[in-house]
Amino acid sequence: MKTLADKSTLNSGVTSRSMVPLELAVIAVGFVLVAIFMRVHWTTNFMIFCMLVLSYDLLYGYMGHLSFGHMLYFGAGAYAAGLWLVRINMSCLQAILAGVLCSALIAAVLGCIVVRTRGATFALINMAFNEIGYFVVYSALRDYTHGEDGLSCAGAPVLGMIDPYDEYHAFGFVLVLLLAVFWFMRRLTSSPYGILIRSIKENEKRVSFLGYNTSAFRWLTFVIASSLAGLAGAVFAVVQGFVSPMAISSFGNVEIIFAVLIGGAGNLYGALIGGVIFMVIKNFLPVIIPGAQKLVDFTLPQWELWLGIVLLIIVFALREGVVGFCAAKLSAIRAGRTSEGI
Amino acid sequence: MIEIRDIDVAYGGAQVLHGVNVTLNQGEMVFIVGRNGAGKTTLLKTAAGLLEPSDGKITFNGAEIQGTPAEKLALRGIRFVAQEKRVFSSLTVRSNIELAAYAAGVDVNKAIEKVLSLYPKLDEFMDRKAGSLSGGQREILLIGRGIVGDPAVLLIDEPTEGLAPVVINDIFRILSYMKEKVSSLIVEQNLSVVCKLADRVYVMKEGKVTHTFTRSDLVGGTKELERHL
Repeated sequence: MKTLADKSTLNSGVTSRSMVPLELAVIAVGFVLVAIFMRVHWTTNFMIFCMLVLSYDLLYGYMGHLSFGHMLYFGAGAYAAGLWLVRINMSCLQAILAGVLCSALIAAVLGCIVVRTRGATFALINMAFNEIGYFVVYSALRDYTHGEDGLSCAGAPVLGMIDPYDEYHAFGFVLVLLLAVFWFMRRLTSSPYGILIRSIKENEKRVSFLGYNTSAFRWLTFVIASSLAGLAGAVFAVVQGFVSPMAISSFGNVEIIFAVLIGGAGNLYGALIGGVIFMVIKNFLPVIIPGAQKLVDFTLPQWELWLGIVLLIIVFALREGVVGFCAAKLSAIRAGRTSEGI
Repeated sequence: MIEIRDIDVAYGGAQVLHGVNVTLNQGEMVFIVGRNGAGKTTLLKTAAGLLEPSDGKITFNGAEIQGTPAEKLALRGIRFVAQEKRVFSSLTVRSNIELAAYAAGVDVNKAIEKVLSLYPKLDEFMDRKAGSLSGGQREILLIGRGIVGDPAVLLIDEPTEGLAPVVINDIFRILSYMKEKVSSLIVEQNLSVVCKLADRVYVMKEGKVTHTFTRSDLVGGTKELERHL
């Protein structure tokens, strides 16, 4: 005979798992619509950025560790994949795997140091490593990475049929990878491990009272998040066929943080929505501002200033992000309906 | 079971505990009482591995454990239920219990059943955020989470602090139920609860144990205890 506890536990598990295919379908349709209304190759870049934002959300949104050095792993993945294509062979899948492994390895080593720190120290020590990474590809490994000139890297079609330089093929390829990352993240964050890292975010000390070695889980989360960032970087290198030091620049960290905040930290949909909104703003403002300049006599500030203002408005107006804001509105509407019913 | 022998504990240069001796035997419920600032919580935190004594030793079943980190002690069966009723408020009640179950390697459903056996009413709140529970319900959840996996020792810091009398009755009932099941060292201010449940009481004052009362000393009620606070 099942008890109440059995019944409710089983129900919650079945419901969350059965929703995943529906979620993946909604995301796929969403990005197809974005591609229809915008350019296909833009949307492909949006999806790569969303992959990066998802990886950062695991570290910051779920575990509460703000880092200013996540681009190190994106860049490491991109350069490792690019160098694989240039120096080893032209297999895109192998290059992507090399990118992921390279980022995972760097994160595994640096993670032993960074997880000893918390708060602002954690954020800044990551930025310091990011800066070191930038100068390594910019000058120390210049012979391999071609420094500021960037690295051109061409790959052969994936499985002999998916041409990464055809915008439709690239779109489909990246979409499948993004859905795989989302599915992985959904499984991860709804597993016991996901519960654990959310509780670390809330109060790490109290998690240790239960018998968990929180440092080990923090390290593991750091490595997983960095490996996923490496995946995004490697896919970026394969699809673009070019990697420059901008891929590892620590300035990119601000963009990821903004995207997470716009969407809503600690929510997978938030990461996707925030990623898309940020990329739309970033890609449209440079087009809109010069257009608006023609209509006025005075000189309009650079588009980056407008970007900052728009982002500040979004972040201040939507404290819990777009997803949090929508969820709060929905529950307010539901609460209103319930009270009307009473 | 747990022997705390002559421990000194200091926060920086300020010594808080001075040669404290406390014993908890198998199956006992031992209380520590004293005024604010007497060092009760410091003693409990030291036993839980959150503070390292500067002198003295703590043994658990004969093995020295002073300075062992809290997570390792928890795995060895010494659980700490901290003050302030801080559950993982952004997680559901169920997830709070699940977290304890995974750490203890216990089946989640059995863990939930165990917690519900303490307080069946908690089942109504299972899918609510733990942060929405009342103070009493949070304390019950914390104690329930603490006993998942049948720990050898439970260290509980002020379980009835700040609770309404009706809720204190619930906590009292739960502690009575646990009395035969787990050895407990409890810091408590409510002397009537202490007198009804304690096998032994240590009175602390200014970082020292000043008096020890056994079960037979407490049959007369709280007056004797109050006199020594």
